[in-house]
Order: sequence, then structure tokens, then C-alpha cells
Amino acid sequence: MSTPLTTEQLLHAYRVMRTIRAFEERLHVEFATGEIPGFVHLYAGEEASAAGVMAHLRDDDCIASNHRGHGHCIAKGVDVYGMMAEIYGKKTGVCQGKGGSMHIADFEKGMLGANGIVGAGAPLVVGAALAARLQGTDGVSVVFFGDGGSNEGAVFEAMNMASVWNLPCLFVAENNGYAEATASNWSVACDHIADRAAGFGMPGVTVDGFDFFAVHEAAGAAVERARAGEGPSLIEVKLTRYYGHFEGDAQTYRAPDEVKHYREHNDCLMQFRERTTRSGSVQASQLERIDQEVDALIEDAVRKAKSDPKPSPADLLSDVYVAYP
Amino acid sequence: MSRRPLSVGIIANPASGRDVRRLTANAGLFSSTDKVSVIQRLLAAFGATGIEQVLIPTDMTGIAAAVQKNSRSRQARDNRWPALEFLDLTLRQSVADTRQAARWMALREVALIAVLGGDGTHKAVAAEVGDIPLLTLSTGTNNAFPELREATSAGLAGGLYASGRVPAAIALRRNKRLLVREPSRGLCEVALVDVAVSPLAFVGARAISRASDLAEVFVTFAEPQSIGISALCGLWLPVTRQAPHGAWMRLDPQSPEALLVPLAPGLLQGCGVLDAGYLQPDAPQPLCLSAGTLALDGEREIEFNAHDRPTVTLDGGGPLSIDVNAVLDHAARQRLLAIDRQHRQHPVNLQPQDTLENKNVDTFDH
Repeated sequence: MSTPLTTEQLLHAYRVMRTIRAFEERLHVEFATGEIPGFVHLYAGEEASAAGVMAHLRDDDCIASNHRGHGHCIAKGVDVYGMMAEIYGKKTGVCQGKGGSMHIADFEKGMLGANGIVGAGAPLVVGAALAARLQGTDGVSVVFFGDGGSNEGAVFEAMNMASVWNLPCLFVAENNGYAEATASNWSVACDHIADRAAGFGMPGVTVDGFDFFAVHEAAGAAVERARAGEGPSLIEVKLTRYYGHFEGDAQTYRAPDEVKHYREHNDCLMQFRERTTRSGSVQASQLERIDQEVDALIEDAVRKAKSDPKPSPADLLSDVYVAYP
Repeated sequence: MSRRPLSVGIIANPASGRDVRRLTANAGLFSSTDKVSVIQRLLAAFGATGIEQVLIPTDMTGIAAAVQKNSRSRQARDNRWPALEFLDLTLRQSVADTRQAARWMALREVALIAVLGGDGTHKAVAAEVGDIPLLTLSTGTNNAFPELREATSAGLAGGLYASGRVPAAIALRRNKRLLVREPSRGLCEVALVDVAVSPLAFVGARAISRASDLAEVFVTFAEPQSIGISALCGLWLPVTRQAPHGAWMRLDPQSPEALLVPLAPGLLQGCGVLDAGYLQPDAPQPLCLSAGTLALDGEREIEFNAHDRPTVTLDGGGPLSIDVNAVLDHAARQRLLAIDRQHRQHPVNLQPQDTLENKNVDTFDH
């Protein structure tokens, strides 16, 4: 429900979104140098979704993410330097440099992992939600997937099971309009992903993913519902990504001014800044201080990640099996 | 010079019926598939009443695509759907699309525009089309302006008016509106049913689901059977659509007098009533709060603070709409839907397999 946010909560939300943006903008630059191994899929433009949902979660709540997972990790509280080191493939990374961008996980923060398999996070959070139920906690589990992921059988099966068992789950479909290069209105049969909730007997809503407050309010209602034992919900967050599906994607499938339009008219950080300062909820100087702190944080993370050691051959089998013979 | 085809427009808001009230109340879903079905019922009725062309905007949610696909069906052929023209808009997936479609239809001088959506959708169309009448159909959540009715009947009423078989004096009614103005911001927005003043600082998920989020309400009309914000006045100080005045109400959770109100489907809230009265036309009203949000026709849209001085004014300059009951009453009295023996759907022209005798139906008098 629409409980007013405190200044502290507003500043935290801004810090989260600003950190995600700075992290992704910097990776966009650094990836072009060729120093970063593997693929990266940037979350810039979608920050309000991660920040709006995660504002309602605790460390003991679990999330599962997808290939575009940096924003979810940062919003869930995963260490930014550890993430940067992981993306650079360094031993100091949160997964000791063996996961990379698409497999960042931090169980202490309830981050079950980014995931390179489209839609594969959904069954994981159903398991986590069942575990919370069996342990008698009021923990909630949230999965983030895209419009492409919304077409996956694993997501349907997970939604079905979550509903049948009335589990404390939240399914967040971040609809950025494209599954790689395929427009969602070409590939999602019922077009509104939220409409699919009805087929699984759960409520489904659509919110403006450029507006932190809209996501925050809807996610609050869904998380409250889940904690109260009222079962799963689906939220379709409509937003856009500012960069390609992956870094290096020429994006020939997008209109020339598409991203420019969203950046100039809808950007979540721009909206947040304008509205919170106009309402007097926060001061511009407070936001500027956060900007400086975030820039310093990212600069420090990149500098350290670049100079950190890589894993050695001896690390190859560590953390792979519970006990290696 | 060739005669222009008799054209009407249909605008369906692809987004209506999916807001947060599915989580905070028991609101149902109005899917794209349902909206396609409503459009097709309208097309059958328009085809039966002599409409020659229907303009439909494109959209990103498959509504126009499904109608186009189904326009090649046997049902479309048998019902003689009018010719369809799809307006190729630059889509932004926001209310701007609805406004753009309405402007294009006004330029094409359509005889009426059928609107599928909630109060907000109707407001957006009304703002662009001057005196082109609206055929209102509810596909939103808490609707007061568009009535809940079957699209086939509404389509017949619209078609009978647009084809000149029912005079405007019978078919059309002028609606009231509320103007929200804030001169220093160059703001002038319209509401067709209600303006609510909320202490909530941000627009957020738009809907208002708690009595404590309401401080003041202005309405153009308020019917006791309505749902949503206008139900507050509807159950305390009802005002008809035809009355020249509106109503206002101030709310405070601490007030000794309280009213149980259906603020959303399945959501009954106790609202403390501080004061209420009739709202006279053309008299700007200041707000009771110095900062907060304004919900126009049920959705928070405007954030204001201590530097702003918004006012709300009732006037009689709202859109024209089709009075479906009045049109169909007239049609019944004048037998406007009676058909002669030459009509393809007259029973004597039915194919043998469609006759009652061949369906083993008892045709004796009962």
C-alpha cells in the first residue's frame, strides 16, 4: 500500500538507482577496452524496477535474476567492488572470479544468482519460497525475468506451482520491449504479460517501470500479500534498456530516436530527482553528495578490480562440489 | 465529386484494467482479448446500421492486429463489417497514443468515437475532439463516466445516431467537467467525473485505495450506485448527470461522522466526513491542502506543493456523449430496426438449413 516514504528511504532509493546507473555506464566504457571477459548485459534504464522491488525485501528474502542481473544484485545489497571484480574475472570477486557477469550470486544477501538460462530463475524462487514456508518464516522470494523469459515453460510451471501451493512468491516481468532483437509485441502472444497471471489464479498488474514510486507501491502491495500468506503475484514492469541486448549489439532493430526519447522524457533518475526535490522531500545537495560518493565508489571498484589477481589453476575445483574426492 | 464514406472511430485503451487495484482490491482483468471482442461487437452493430468505415488506431498490444485478422473471418463477412482503416500512429505506449488517435479522428471528421476504457481514457479523448460525440464503453476498473453495457446495443445506438436515423436532440447529452488550473505552471487539466485531493506526495501507482489518502473530493455528478471516488458523494450527497451543479466533500479520519464507501471493487472503506456541499458552476475552488497529489478521474496525475495554488472549477463544457437508452427507446418506438422482405436477414431469406423446421423446433403457437 502507499505508505509515505521517509527522507532516509528516498535517499537510499536514489543511491541504489544511481549506483546501478554509474556501474553500468562505466562497464559500457570498460567493456569496449577488451579487458572484461565474456558477455555483459547492461541494466541501465531499468533501475527503478530493482530499487522499487528490493526496497521491500530483507536479507533473508531471496531473489533470482537473469542474464541482465547487475541491477538486481546492487539493489539486493551485493558488494559493488566484489561484483566488479567478479565481472573482471578476478579472485576477489563475489564468486572468486569463476562466475562472471551472468553468474553473480551472494547467498548471504539472499541473491540466488544471475542466470544465463532464460527463465531459469523462476523455479529457484519457488523452491526458496517453499523452504521459507517449511521453515516457518515470513520470507518472500522474488524472480526477475524479461519479456523473453515470460514465454518460457519453466516460468509457467513455476507460476503454476507457486499458485497451487500458495507460496510467498513475486514474479516480476521486466518488459523492456525486446527479447534480444525480437520485439515483445511480435513474440508475446497475449501482449500484456500481466494478463497471464489470470491463467494461474493470481493477480497480475502492470506498472510504469520508469517511475520508482509506481514500482515501489505495486511491489509493496505484492510483498505484503505474500508475507501475509495470501500467495503469489505477477507484476509486469514496463521499461526500456538504454543499451543493446549485450555490449556490442548494434541494435539495428530499434528506431533511431527510441532510446533518446526515453532518456529525455522518462528517465527514472531524472524523474526521481525532479519530483523529490520539487516536493521538498529531499534537498538537491543531498542528491549531489550521493552522486559524488557513488562516482568515487565505482572508480575505486574498477581500479581495484583491474589490479586484483586472477584465480589460479589450483582454484579450479574449489567451491564447485560440496566435497571433492 | 465523390461522397465521403460515413465514418466512425473506435479507440480502445490497451492499458486499462491492469492497475494496482488487482493487488489492493478485487478488481478483475479486462484483457486485450476481451477488448478485441468488444470492438468486434461494435463492428457488427455498426455494419448493421449503415456505418461504412471505421477508423481504429494501431497499438503495441495486439488489439488492432487481432481485429484485422478477424476482419477476414466468416463472422465479419456475414455481419457486413464496415471497411476498416488502421491509423498508423507513432506509438509511445502512454496516454499520448490515445490523444493522438483522437486528434487524427477529429481531423477525419468522424461522426462519433466509440471509446473503450475507464474515466481517464474518456477524459483523454474528450480533450481532443471538441463536439464529436463519444460512445462510452467501460473497460476500466472504477468507472462512472462510461456505463457498463453490452457493446452490441451501444453500437446499434451509435450507428443509428451516426447514420442520421435518430436526431441529435434525442441522441446526445452534454456532460459537465472539472477544470484543474495552476496558472504559474501553465496547467489546465480536465476531469469528467471527479478530482480528489490526496496528501500522498507522489503519483506512484496512481489509484487511491485508502480512505486516509483522501482529503477532499469534487465531482461533476455522483450516483449512489457508482464505485470509486465519486461514490463518496453518491452515497452522501447524490448529484445527477443532468443537474447544473456538482458536489464537494471534505474528509478527515478523525471526523465523528463517517461513511462506508466502495472505493474499488471489493474494497469498502470507512471515510470520515468533515463537510459536504453542492459545487456551483464557474466558481474556482481552492484546495484544502497546500501539498500533495491530485487524482483526476480516479488516478493520481498531478503533484503539487506549497508554491502551487491549484483550483478546481466546474463547468458545463464537457464532451457530448450518446445517450444509448434514449436512442434505443426512440428506435423501438419508431421501429428503426424493423427489416423488410428484401433484407438479407429477413427470415424468408434464410437458407433452408437455418429454418426452424429443419432444426426440429416446434413452430406451433405457444
